[in-house]
Amino acid sequence: MKRVYLPLILSLVLALEGVALELLPSNLLRTDLLIVPHWVLVILVFLTIFYDYDSTYYSVMYALIFGLLVDIVYTDVLGVYMFSYALTIYAIHSMKKLLHGNIFVTVLLGAGGLVLSDIMIYLIYMIVGLTDTVWVDYLSSRLLPTVLSNLLFLLVLYPILAKRLMNWRKEHINKDSML
Amino acid sequence: MSFLRKKKLFIFLIAFILIVALIGFSLRDREDLTIVEEIVNDTVGWGQTIIHAPINFVTNIITNIDDFKDTYNENRILKEKLAEYKGLIYEVQELKKENEDLRNTLELTESDSIRHYKPIQAAVISRSPERWLEQITINKGKDDGVKENMAVITPEGMVGKVLTPSKNTATVQLLTGFDQFNRISGMISRKEKENNIFGMIEGFDKESKHLIFRIIEESKKDVKKGELVVSSGMGGVFPAGLPIGKVKEVVPDKYGLTKTALVDPSADIYEINHVIVVDRSLQTDNIESEKEGE
Repeated sequence: MKRVYLPLILSLVLALEGVALELLPSNLLRTDLLIVPHWVLVILVFLTIFYDYDSTYYSVMYALIFGLLVDIVYTDVLGVYMFSYALTIYAIHSMKKLLHGNIFVTVLLGAGGLVLSDIMIYLIYMIVGLTDTVWVDYLSSRLLPTVLSNLLFLLVLYPILAKRLMNWRKEHINKDSML
Repeated sequence: MSFLRKKKLFIFLIAFILIVALIGFSLRDREDLTIVEEIVNDTVGWGQTIIHAPINFVTNIITNIDDFKDTYNENRILKEKLAEYKGLIYEVQELKKENEDLRNTLELTESDSIRHYKPIQAAVISRSPERWLEQITINKGKDDGVKENMAVITPEGMVGKVLTPSKNTATVQLLTGFDQFNRISGMISRKEKENNIFGMIEGFDKESKHLIFRIIEESKKDVKKGELVVSSGMGGVFPAGLPIGKVKEVVPDKYGLTKTALVDPSADIYEINHVIVVDRSLQTDNIESEKEGE
């Protein structure tokens, strides 16, 4: 039964992303700052660091599925989030072998992942023609506030998720290897 | 090892090709969403409706507290306004009656008017986190009669148009995300008919945060600051008379041949909770040609 927790959490966060902007004061929406909630990606970073072993790739699979869902629900342009989330999570997955999973590493990898995926989304949208923001503007008005606000979300979730995920890993994945 | 590496490269290349194909597929001019997309949209929309209720409750309380602060002043102004309206109501009633009588003598039915539309009330259930796209999702879809390209308004004015309807939800493109492919034919209405100014809303200027209203047909009187731009109904998709915004500034274009007005949207694009989808009940077939023409 506990097996459905992960997809459930991810779906909940996916739905929450849609109302995230309403929680911000509307004055903030009127400024030039573009804060984009990448909450699904933050959860996926947790999954990579605390749930996956070096040899399992659950997080990459979830990244593909939920990246596609973000595309379908929020953007109508399929594949952009799917590609950038999956690639980012794959990169983090291969990085975490070198580092031990604690809060600093999580923040570091989370920040790196957010930067990487948001830049990738920017580049793809740029190529496709959905945005024409200049590189410098993008850095100051979107990348910086987005990464900072999402890191805040990551820090809030850390005490709730980190331990729990490690416990679930033991239960779920050991059962898999026994089967 | 070299085999493994080759395999990885291979997978990456295939994934890349797939992504390009997917993006290409979704960017071409699609009439309808695929079944899968519709199902996902409806399911997530259903979930969001549930989540939205408590969040709405909390944000409402916060805005209520804000409102309380200037209730006294507002109340005074409103009382003054109310007195004015009493006179207006009488006038409007008279005009309506007269209009109806005139229509009857001309044997025009209500639905012939380009002003007539059927309102579909809807609530906003989410706003796309991808800020470059400026989309919102509403809780009415094809089942409620929402179709592609219908205008979406609030009591203050226009906010956007329906982009892709699913069965029970629909995605709305906000005015702030309009580009040269989503034009609205608009006009500035004057007392004398020959002084009307016609033009097109051609998109949203992200830097100055204004709609760009290109004036096609000038009149003797120049556009002034503060004049109201409304939809003209000439396009065939949107009915006439929907307020779009107020003129903020008039600038000549690059070659000095035409003029462009920067228009401040009259609806608050950033705080939308309830919208009305405008179902223009005109049973004409010029909607298709309109889409190509615009």
